[in-house]
Amino acid sequence: MTGPILSLRGVSKSFPQGGMLDRLLGRDGRLVALDAVSLDVMRGDVVGIVGESGSGKSTLAGLAVGLVRPTTGDVLLDGQPMAELMRDHAGPWRRRVQMVFQDSSSALNPRKSVARCLGETLALRGVPKAQCESEIAELLTLVGLGPEIGPRLPHELSGGQRQRIGLARALAMKPEVLIADEPVSALDVSLQAQVINLLSRLTRELGLTLLFISHDLALVRTLCSRIVVMRKGLIVEQGPCLDVLDRPQHPYTQALIAAVPKGLAGRRTPLPVRAADAAAIPETREDIHGAA
Amino acid sequence: MSPDLLSVEGLRVGFRSADGGIVEAVRGVDFSVAPGEAVGIVGESGSGKSLSMLAVMRLLVAPARVTGGRVLFDGEDLLAADERRMRALRGRDIAMVFQDPQSSLNPALTIGRQITDVVRAHRGVSSAEARRIAAEALERVGIRDAGRRLASYPHEFSGGMRQRALIAMAIACRPRLLIADEPTTALDVTVQAQIVDLIAELRRELGLAVVFISHNLQLVAEIVDRVVVMYGGKVVEDGPVEAIELAPRHPYTSLLKACVPSLSGPVGPLTAIEGAPPRLGRLPIGCPFSPRCPDAIEPCLSEMPPLVTEAGHRSACWRPR
Amino acid sequence: MSGLAKTLCGLDWSGWLGAGIVGLILLAAIFAPLIAPYDPLGLDIEDRLAAPDMKHWLGTDQGGRDVLSRILFGARASLSVGIGAVLIGALIGVSAGVFAAYKGGLGEQIVMRVVDGVASIPLLVWAIAIVGILGVGPLPVGSLLLPNEVKIVVLVGCLFSPVFARVTYAVAKRIAGADYVRARFLQGASHWQIVIGDVLPNCLSPIIVQGTLLVAIGIVIEASISFVGLGVQPPQPSWGTMLSDARSAIYSGEWWLPAFPGLAISLTVIGFNLLGDAVRDLFDPRSDARTLVA
Repeated sequence: MTGPILSLRGVSKSFPQGGMLDRLLGRDGRLVALDAVSLDVMRGDVVGIVGESGSGKSTLAGLAVGLVRPTTGDVLLDGQPMAELMRDHAGPWRRRVQMVFQDSSSALNPRKSVARCLGETLALRGVPKAQCESEIAELLTLVGLGPEIGPRLPHELSGGQRQRIGLARALAMKPEVLIADEPVSALDVSLQAQVINLLSRLTRELGLTLLFISHDLALVRTLCSRIVVMRKGLIVEQGPCLDVLDRPQHPYTQALIAAVPKGLAGRRTPLPVRAADAAAIPETREDIHGAA
Repeated sequence: MSPDLLSVEGLRVGFRSADGGIVEAVRGVDFSVAPGEAVGIVGESGSGKSLSMLAVMRLLVAPARVTGGRVLFDGEDLLAADERRMRALRGRDIAMVFQDPQSSLNPALTIGRQITDVVRAHRGVSSAEARRIAAEALERVGIRDAGRRLASYPHEFSGGMRQRALIAMAIACRPRLLIADEPTTALDVTVQAQIVDLIAELRRELGLAVVFISHNLQLVAEIVDRVVVMYGGKVVEDGPVEAIELAPRHPYTSLLKACVPSLSGPVGPLTAIEGAPPRLGRLPIGCPFSPRCPDAIEPCLSEMPPLVTEAGHRSACWRPR
Repeated sequence: MSGLAKTLCGLDWSGWLGAGIVGLILLAAIFAPLIAPYDPLGLDIEDRLAAPDMKHWLGTDQGGRDVLSRILFGARASLSVGIGAVLIGALIGVSAGVFAAYKGGLGEQIVMRVVDGVASIPLLVWAIAIVGILGVGPLPVGSLLLPNEVKIVVLVGCLFSPVFARVTYAVAKRIAGADYVRARFLQGASHWQIVIGDVLPNCLSPIIVQGTLLVAIGIVIEASISFVGLGVQPPQPSWGTMLSDARSAIYSGEWWLPAFPGLAISLTVIGFNLLGDAVRDLFDPRSDARTLVA
């Protein structure tokens, strides 16, 4: 029986609030982003973390990759505490946990070509120069792009292509855990499906553990095996994805599900009175203007 | 047929490109909105949906400009109207709500001041009367304790409340047409649902005509009567919401529906639309969707299909489904 | 250098005008010994205060020295102070700005407060005051003798540095928070690699714009310091000293003495300003039509 690959043990994170003057006067409040959260992620799990702004889901992502240090509590990778693995700046944590960002335009250095971006990443993993070219081509194929993309700059790519490069860059470190923070929310709907399908295929083929952070329940449903619902820094509900979404226990989960647009099935207004009936509507409008 | 409240005919919007040529982003768009009707304009980025509505409001910023077409509001050509006339119409007869409530409000002025300014500019009422109207409008959009809230500043409101305040500002002068440009995109999902409910309710109670611009067909389908689907600067399909939802004719519309997963049904790989939306200045000669269309045949690549009307449902496709 | 070529291609007419003026003056300064018709220091008692004619295009001064030649050589003093001060200011200011933005915390507070302090100093007044206190002779620094010109360049450079620090800080702060910097950090790249490879290259455009505009200010400062007699020392030519020497001529009617050095200063300042504005427009993302498409 192997333990969880990533686990959070009673992790809290708070940020100081207010300006320097407030702090000097002892008026500092602290914004609690995460409140004693515990979470175990098993190897190979695809976990969806859902919540709205202020739920702490992005802080959780930052903690998992080591961009954010917890105020209290421990983050463990394969049973080893983060503090130990991160003692060296380029420590093993860095290589084993990687991240895909939300905004594909800010995720890539606008002045570096795709090949240079990936090449630098490979160099940091210690790949010899001679092998870089073939590895770059491999990575590009992995994310469904051709080698002709190599010399291009980020602004010459579409949003979907940029997000694929962001994914390739993360994969270049050969991580075991991938954190994807709203990776498709800035993409057009027609591109979202491409990236989601790609993520789904890659986690399966590479045996990755994926933390998929999103506010879109339907996407989480298609991609994830487990779901964690967060609100105001707390986990309010978690479990197998389909179970939770089909039989939500917590009222907040129920509210989130109710808020998903449902097309015709979710009509808020009776279907229109058309043709002859439409003539009645201007009258209503006259009434309003008459009153003004 | 009742006369249209807003009728857009052959609207074209272009940008002057660096080499002096014109790159068209909206390429001959026709649609109309009847009084009291709610129309959804659905499209992805670069489809020209927002630009079209900015052109209607005459709010285009250089280098974008209208290069052709007519916009009739209640029979009056807005593109020919002078700036004074437009100022009178904007806010009073046509109101607009934008995507980002944060940047649409002046952070230095109270909510009340910002609404009363609009009211007084258009209705010539006393300041006490304007405050009463502003309070009423705030109450109408579901902000409790509206009288006291008038004195609040935008930063004291949450994102959802700011968007409500903007809607209050939009309806305070009782416009006949409300244009909402992705009004819920910047908001949390639960708040998004509330704002959509609010717009639907206001429309019913005030008899407003609504143009709801969005990239989310499912969201739009919840409140509009008719959907206009745009792609590559053109209208590719336009029909009653049931028809668009249940029997779309254009492959783009049906794929757009298919690639958004739902909360029910079997879980499996999503239907993806391969490729990327066309870039400005590199639009295909034929149907803009042809490079990504699984059904594309020869004429699709070389010739733009005409918009064909059939039982009040228009679509532009050589091989309608 | 493809970046520079691209930049030049995108200039509008005023940008081209600025680039042309700046280019001509740079060439004139560099090749002054070749193109100057006379020795700028050569006295000619026979030909004192000659009005512009075919022999002396811009006339001669009280010592019979050719005004055109002196202006050409004077360009060297003006431009070397302007450009030198900007380079030194950029070196100090950009390092400070990037450090503060990237480091954050207490280091950021200290550096930026020092910058605020230096920036509160009225530039011209202090430059004149400090040179006045130190005197116009060479300044011994250890075993080194710093000539007056170098002293002025370093001084003006230091006074320019807060401007660079603030501009750099504003941009670098944004870039330090960008996801691509985070991604580099996650890969285990060193701070040095991140700053040199990712932060600095993306800060360059506003720094270049600021630099171009500051050269113009530097030239005016050099002229002002020389005008009050603390800069370039006679008989060496500089636009400021020439103007200073021409003070009496304003009343006695030798208009060419103040007019041409004054014109040279104005033209150079206008040139750098036009170039700076054009480069700024070029780097402004809002000038890109593509970003407007919704």
